[in-house]
Amino acid sequence: MKRLIALALVVLASQPVLARAGGLGVGVFGGESYPVLQDDTGNGTLVGVRVPLKLVPFVTIEPWYASSSLSDKVTSVAGLDYTRQGFDEKIYGVNAMFATGGPLSFYPIVGIGQASLKRAGYDQTLTSYNAGIGIGISPLPKFSIDLRAEAQAVVDGQTTRKFGNATAGVTYHLLGLPGLP
Amino acid sequence: MLKHLRLWLPAAALLALVASGCLLISGQFVITYTFKDHGYDPVTVNSPLSVVGVPVDLGTVSTYRDHKKELKDVSDLAVVGQVQNLDGSAPVDVEIWIVRNPGTLLTTDAAVRGAGVRVWGPLHLAAGATRTVGWDDSAKLFVGRQALIDEIKGDGRFDLYVLGSGGYHFAVTKAAIIAVIAAGK
Repeated sequence: MKRLIALALVVLASQPVLARAGGLGVGVFGGESYPVLQDDTGNGTLVGVRVPLKLVPFVTIEPWYASSSLSDKVTSVAGLDYTRQGFDEKIYGVNAMFATGGPLSFYPIVGIGQASLKRAGYDQTLTSYNAGIGIGISPLPKFSIDLRAEAQAVVDGQTTRKFGNATAGVTYHLLGLPGLP
Repeated sequence: MLKHLRLWLPAAALLALVASGCLLISGQFVITYTFKDHGYDPVTVNSPLSVVGVPVDLGTVSTYRDHKKELKDVSDLAVVGQVQNLDGSAPVDVEIWIVRNPGTLLTTDAAVRGAGVRVWGPLHLAAGATRTVGWDDSAKLFVGRQALIDEIKGDGRFDLYVLGSGGYHFAVTKAAIIAVIAAGK
């Protein structure tokens, strides 16, 4: 509760700055996460929330959180199928995006975060990087729709677990102008 | 300046990925060493004085051979199979041991425990019970994970034994070692 109040105070206090600079939004998104070169886990649904903050013109910073439940993988041994549970992934991070704004925008995204991958006998929290492209469409005042394609690399020792994520999201712009990513 | 940022930031992210030691060309590959393919199905153990060893050579698995040179880590391990307690009057606790330097197969429980290291188990089976040990169950039963990882990252050759305690008459069928290796260039 205290955290919520503190967050509300920060948002209220920053209103003039955000309004001048561009704005603040709250969005939800969902899509599919596809493991790349990973034989031991399947693809799964990805859902999350994000809070785009346009601090200076053309540049938006976006804290976000997402979770996905990846599907199982099956290996057959001597006629018996053995199933390995897919990962439950929870990840939070921050993106930087570069867009001109307006009713239609096309923008690159880069980000860094922390991913928690869990399944039976495996529980790791690892650094994650992501990069991709997005398209923002603003059909209504204060609302925008975002379509994004991103590559995600979760660093695990000397290798990475890679994912291709395709998402669609809706953002409500509390302050400032819509059309932001 | 801002126009340039649109190019520089993705480039910087790419550099960060490389600089962090993370390899972009990498993947996780499943290798399966099936006992049946090597003439060990079933593995039947009748007493502590007549245990059965399985000589494992991962070099016979094509996926392992393909990625051996780029092998960086072992990210998942399991020993799967059906275990049947053939003793109808006593329970058994089944364990898996490995002997790192393969050679003449050992034939007694005491010799294996003296020369090897326990990597998995115990799995408790009631008298006369049969249990299929799946991938998820097996992953949780590893106790000597690092020893097996070292072998996989090494020459891939070791001897594997299934030992018991309590009742000592059991059989393992349709068994395999499943490992997920992480490899990158």
